Amino acid sequence: MMWPLRFISFWLWYAKEFFLANLYVTLDVLRPKKRMKTNPAIIAVPAASVSNTEWTLISCLITLTPGTLTLSISREHKILYVHGMFVDSREQLVAEIQEMENRMLRALRRVPGELARPIQAPVVVPSDLPEEGDQQ
Amino acid sequence: MDLHVIAHTAGMVFIFLGIVTIIVAGIGLFRLPDLYLRASAVGTSAGLGVASIVLGVLLMDFSWLNLIKAAVAIVAQLLTSAVGSMAIARSGYLNNSLPAAITHTDDLLRTRRDYRREAS
Repeated sequence: MMWPLRFISFWLWYAKEFFLANLYVTLDVLRPKKRMKTNPAIIAVPAASVSNTEWTLISCLITLTPGTLTLSISREHKILYVHGMFVDSREQLVAEIQEMENRMLRALRRVPGELARPIQAPVVVPSDLPEEGDQQ
Repeated sequence: MDLHVIAHTAGMVFIFLGIVTIIVAGIGLFRLPDLYLRASAVGTSAGLGVASIVLGVLLMDFSWLNLIKAAVAIVAQLLTSAVGSMAIARSGYLNNSLPAAITHTDDLLRTRRDYRREAS
């Protein structure tokens, strides 16, 4: 597909996802307590973003979707820490976020290029040195 | 004239939808157990509610200048509500407000300095 087409179709797709997620969260908030489906988790999602724009936009888009929330990012390890409201398994949330990221990167870049991610989430330990150009 | 009535009704519907969204977000504040669930459910629902009200007002009083104003207002509202929720959630986590007990996985906990590793 040509680049402007990809750009427009991504925003249409995102608007659809946004309204569906809104509906889902609204229904769950109004459900009686015993049948609430909230199943929250904080998951480290490997990301393929590179530039500042991409990192900012993907974390904003994740937060903007009701039910998911970016808590923190680590650009050094290429990880997005995402809090999800309906997480039945780690793989499900990771797949959801990575699909959104793939679509976003294809919409932003004229040439999609490399969409590789670290397959296994690296072990992140606290260090005393602040990460280069990163805010936690 | 007829078009005017239709636009007016549609505007009313959007304003009403926006009000309902904000009320549901308010109910969510009471019903959800911890900071992160509240921030993720409420931050964006409130953003959508305000955006929907702005859209409704635009339909009721349409002009091209108002269209530009409304577009800027909606984009700014959604962006700031997203950044605000992230800032609140992140500062909550840094200030030891741990997620509710129903949170079944917490990968961010491993990056904390006071996290005890069983292996070592």
